[in-house]
Amino acid sequence: MLNPVGIHAVGLIGPGLADFPSAREILAGREEHLYAPVQIPPTSLLPANERRRTTQTIRLALRAAEEASEGGDRTSMRSVFASSSGDMDIIDRICEALTHPDPAVSPMQFHNSVHNAAAGNWSIATRNPAPATALSGFTGTVAAGLLEAVTLQLSEGGEVLLVCYDVPSMELFREVRPVTENFAFGLRLGPVAGAQWQLRLDPGGNGPETPCRAPALEALRATNPAARALPLLERLAGAHHDAVVLEAPAGRVLGLHVEEATP
Amino acid sequence: MNALAITAHTQTSAAGTGNAAGAAALRAGRSGLRRCDLPDVDLETFIGRVEGLEDHPLEGELAAFDCRNNRLAELALQQDGFLAAVDAAIRRHGADRIAVLLGTSTSGIAATEEAYRRRDPATGALPPDYDYRHTQNMYSLADYVATRLGLSGPAMVVSTACSSSAKVFADAWRHIHAGICDAAIVGGVDSLCGMTLYGFNALQLVAPEPCTPLDRQRRGISIGEAAGFFLLERAEDAPADAPRLTGHGESSDAHHMSAPHPEGAGAARAMREALQRAGREGHELDYVLMHATATPANDRSEARALADVLGPRARCAGTKGLTGHTLGAAGAVGAAQALASLAGGFVPGTAGLTDPDPELGLDARAASEERPVRRVLLNAFGFGGNNCSLLLEAPC
Repeated sequence: MLNPVGIHAVGLIGPGLADFPSAREILAGREEHLYAPVQIPPTSLLPANERRRTTQTIRLALRAAEEASEGGDRTSMRSVFASSSGDMDIIDRICEALTHPDPAVSPMQFHNSVHNAAAGNWSIATRNPAPATALSGFTGTVAAGLLEAVTLQLSEGGEVLLVCYDVPSMELFREVRPVTENFAFGLRLGPVAGAQWQLRLDPGGNGPETPCRAPALEALRATNPAARALPLLERLAGAHHDAVVLEAPAGRVLGLHVEEATP
Repeated sequence: MNALAITAHTQTSAAGTGNAAGAAALRAGRSGLRRCDLPDVDLETFIGRVEGLEDHPLEGELAAFDCRNNRLAELALQQDGFLAAVDAAIRRHGADRIAVLLGTSTSGIAATEEAYRRRDPATGALPPDYDYRHTQNMYSLADYVATRLGLSGPAMVVSTACSSSAKVFADAWRHIHAGICDAAIVGGVDSLCGMTLYGFNALQLVAPEPCTPLDRQRRGISIGEAAGFFLLERAEDAPADAPRLTGHGESSDAHHMSAPHPEGAGAARAMREALQRAGREGHELDYVLMHATATPANDRSEARALADVLGPRARCAGTKGLTGHTLGAAGAVGAAQALASLAGGFVPGTAGLTDPDPELGLDARAASEERPVRRVLLNAFGFGGNNCSLLLEAPC
């Protein structure tokens, strides 16, 4: 079991989940979840002309980053951007372009095709020179991101922004990559002092994955690798007080032990 | 910081398959670049292509992973006794105590490019044998390597463009430091594909001739493919003659997605952090193995960072003229080259350099210089302004 870190803020955007405060009653099991497709509100992190130069994938990640970083120092926190697949829309467009003779690849699409496009846009938008990383663990991406962000916080101190996000597949990929919804969430991790919750990771944990308490959320959990975080979000919202077990890469699981801060 | 020992490693690139071939090419300045001869790519440029990948598909239980990137991973894993070294590490630590932390920028995207070309003409559907998860998904590389090596420790792929396979060394340090694992397989693989060749071409960053890093006439990159793997363990668990990772530094430019900070501010920050973690001063370095991609802006930015951190005329080398810019594998290639120079006692030359750019103010030389080498600072920088520096040292 690793030493505890503090969770200082949460960001969330998913179908019928507009942000963490408004979703809290749903996650706690006190309100019914009503499906609604994701509308990504414009992020205030980027000016309008810069927003146009980004993609839906970047805007989705930045929306969760913006909410989770609220109240922290955006110009100095380290960041971890975790996504199973990155920007599937760009991959689709470039692979399509490459089927033609003398293919025309858009320079802007190409530089936004890198897996760290959201991380790069975040650091540019916030003028933050701290290290930023981008990773994948397929359907264990949330667990891989948590392990990366928590070990960063424990090694280096300070605040660490974790953002997990994935976009739905293009039509052509619906069978080979069945991701059907947009979903992103973020955590602002930091010292235990002053945090709303304490989080301890158990990388040697075992046992089955924790399902969602609410059937509607459990159905959502399978629609997107980032939505694997929903059982953790239910725990943070107070739906229960049990440990949460998430799928991790390489056939492992990651145990999550959350405690509310004592006032 | 507590150093990590590098107890086994291997490299494969256009400059050579395995450490001995790679080190010989490095010492002699023998380039593996050739005119672009990839099917489906029609560009006037040079590439660093690894021979024979087309003829060695992955078979049996690992057939689902078959794609150019994982084939290159497999070819590299078979060199230099690396498989046996991993087996011995499993006996020492246990398969679940060895992490697999690897870097790539484009994973197995060539498999997806090919699947798009083979879509059903009537329905547009992907071919039935296309396997997204085991080829193109960003995690596929670590999935393949962990499965192939029988490892069940924490695993992930870091994909921060051309700094990817340098950053995983820092991840290994944090994972081992936190007690999550006792050892880690790090490194990375990137392989030639239409996306990067046409993408860099669209950004007008590709040279028509073999790349010439740090040269006055440099005109851009040559793209290459490569794989490198390293077994990292706590220094106290390792033989005394193992080279060491003594420092790492990471930073963001916070400037532009595809252009470096003009003054190299982020690069300087990463280099300073690596030195500081190791408790070293700039004058203690034997040389800097630069990122030196050979674009006019990249080399200028990095040279300014070197001047800022180390002062004028810093001793340095750039090796992309041997291998091409291997993108997400560049950090792994550089680390293997740094280890070759520590073990072989030479400062590598800068292949392709004929007329050193005086504006850069560096001490880069065309030919290798034979002399003992104890400390090499390695740079790897990527799109998104993502920077990483590693300090590699000879055994104590």
